[in-house]
Amino acid sequence: MLLLRLAAVVIALGMNVHGQALSDGQKKLNMESFEFIWTTVRDQYWDPTFEGLNWTAVHDELRPRMERASTMAEARHVMRQMIDRLGKSHFAIIPADVYGDLDEREESGGPATTGIDVRVLDGKAIVTSVEEGSSGTAQGVHTGWGVLSVDGVPVAPSLQRIAEVDRESTMLELHLARSVQAKLSGEAGSRPQVEFLDGAGRHVTKQMERNEPPGPTARFGYLPPMHVWFQARRVESKIGYLTFNLFLDPQRLMPAFGDALQSCADCAGVIIDLRGNPGGLGILATGMAGWFLDKPDQRLGTMHMRQGTIKFTVNPRLPTFRGAVAILVDGCSASTSEIFAEGMKDLGRGRVFGTRTAGAALPSAIDKLPNGDGFQHALADYISEGGQPLEGTGVIPNVEVKLTREALLAGRDPVLEAAIEWVHTRK
Amino acid sequence: MRLRRQLLPLVLATLACSAGWAAPDEPLPKAEDILDKFVDATGGKAAYESVRNERWTGTFEFVGKGIKGTVTSFRAEPNKSLTIVELEGVGTIKQGTDGQTVWESSSMQGPRIKQGEERAAALREATLRAPLYWRKLYKHVETVGQETIDEQPCYKVVLTPEEGKPETQYYDKKSGLMVKMTMSVATPNGEIPSELTLSDYKEEQGLLQPHKLHQSAFGMEILITMDHADHNVDIPTDKFDVPADVKALQPKTPESK
Repeated sequence: MLLLRLAAVVIALGMNVHGQALSDGQKKLNMESFEFIWTTVRDQYWDPTFEGLNWTAVHDELRPRMERASTMAEARHVMRQMIDRLGKSHFAIIPADVYGDLDEREESGGPATTGIDVRVLDGKAIVTSVEEGSSGTAQGVHTGWGVLSVDGVPVAPSLQRIAEVDRESTMLELHLARSVQAKLSGEAGSRPQVEFLDGAGRHVTKQMERNEPPGPTARFGYLPPMHVWFQARRVESKIGYLTFNLFLDPQRLMPAFGDALQSCADCAGVIIDLRGNPGGLGILATGMAGWFLDKPDQRLGTMHMRQGTIKFTVNPRLPTFRGAVAILVDGCSASTSEIFAEGMKDLGRGRVFGTRTAGAALPSAIDKLPNGDGFQHALADYISEGGQPLEGTGVIPNVEVKLTREALLAGRDPVLEAAIEWVHTRK
Repeated sequence: MRLRRQLLPLVLATLACSAGWAAPDEPLPKAEDILDKFVDATGGKAAYESVRNERWTGTFEFVGKGIKGTVTSFRAEPNKSLTIVELEGVGTIKQGTDGQTVWESSSMQGPRIKQGEERAAALREATLRAPLYWRKLYKHVETVGQETIDEQPCYKVVLTPEEGKPETQYYDKKSGLMVKMTMSVATPNGEIPSELTLSDYKEEQGLLQPHKLHQSAFGMEILITMDHADHNVDIPTDKFDVPADVKALQPKTPESK
């Protein structure tokens, strides 16, 4: 099972670090957790040379710090230091209290949102979508507005810090957006004061309300419960548009995806919008690709583990959709989204529009640590069918199109428009 | 559910033989003797032949990953099977055969017809009373050595099927039970080396059966626990029919056009 990119979402939205002193029992469990992480990486990391990193030396250096850790925050910091040395995505510590908080509100499954989505464009946090029926809609928030502060806390300083730290990383756009999204998210029913810069350049403060995200709650292994939604519509009479927030909950997502394609059988093309989609179950990438490919033995890519390889082979599904396929991505598209987009591109079955993806595409699993925290760890390297690794590179779109504040204020989506235009040329 | 592919015949394979101790320098017993004696020790030929069909239920778990579910499996003579796995967060995964068409279906990947080595292995697994029919199922068997597993000396037997890679089975010298099996599982995603351990043998209506099957591959571990097995139960005649969405994948014959 491949868990992709989700732990970081959970952490960004729900982390609650305690500063209380630890009991001897907790310290012992933390030490066991430290050793569990180190041993798991030693035994399972796909490159036994760790790309030149002396993994034993990392252990010997950090273990004394772990022994001195007197709070959970310190202990987790040391464990994160250890896995950060690998310099790869999909290694994360998920605090146990994230599970606890979310388990108590299983029906909600995750932090509530204001219904507005944000990207950081040219250094500014800009509203890119407003969910229908949400607090954002009720308050008249418009795409293209800037987000200046949340509950009096300005967003700019943290954006600047992230931009400096991650300036060389393909995950910059992802981290910037999450920084703002984390501020906008919180407990259901809470009412943050959000200061915007509207289309006329005026500062506008709105009393927003956080509500449960759309879609039913899905659970998978040690991932905390998460809402999964799927939307399908036609953007023109002969062009379908499909979008969903996670590659999870296959018993609901996959039939919905298949039904939407079948109802669009007469379409000249479909547009699959994966912007902001952080991934999920890797196997769903091949499952979805099956509706677009009618020949057996085609692959999206290959997982390379220490013990061997697993091909991401596509199983053709009936009825095959034969129209054009446009895939929309951005810097917040990660993991399974990247595997799907690059694989379809490599096979010549999809054309990718938007901006470079997050370059965080390592298949991973989540184990429960002795101290109750979750430990997400990558299991393998992944090479797309075209021969390119996605980790640290991301998917380079066939057609690069950027969102702009001006276009969003005008109610336009230049990425979607480019995809529609391309489908027209394919008729 | 690739990792389960090799499990089904082993659930019914109740392995025990009264093979005596062999000193390290003693000649190895013939594989034929190990396999034949094991039938007697697990209930005997008559007990196996009294089984016309089987239904068992149990649990399925990805060890340490928090992913759990249930398993329900049906088999009927000569080689029909249907296995249904329900996993939380994943949904239903089915695999089966009517003795000809071998298939698998899930919401994740859709329906699929198995071919080649994968099909051949599935048909071997689906064979009811398989321990009686190893001569039909394998073209060559050979005892190749001894190995200690969980501190118990075992015979190592390699079985080569007509189609597919050889499998290696390990039989506890003392109890005669099969305690381990290694194999390379053919899948559309490539060959997956896999190891299966069998334990917690209990009698189910005259046949000794392992109730814990622990399979590992590529660092992932699956534990299947059998709760209960019934033989000669009322299974609807259409239970093993090929589902419509699988039939739709079959090449059209002149008659069906």
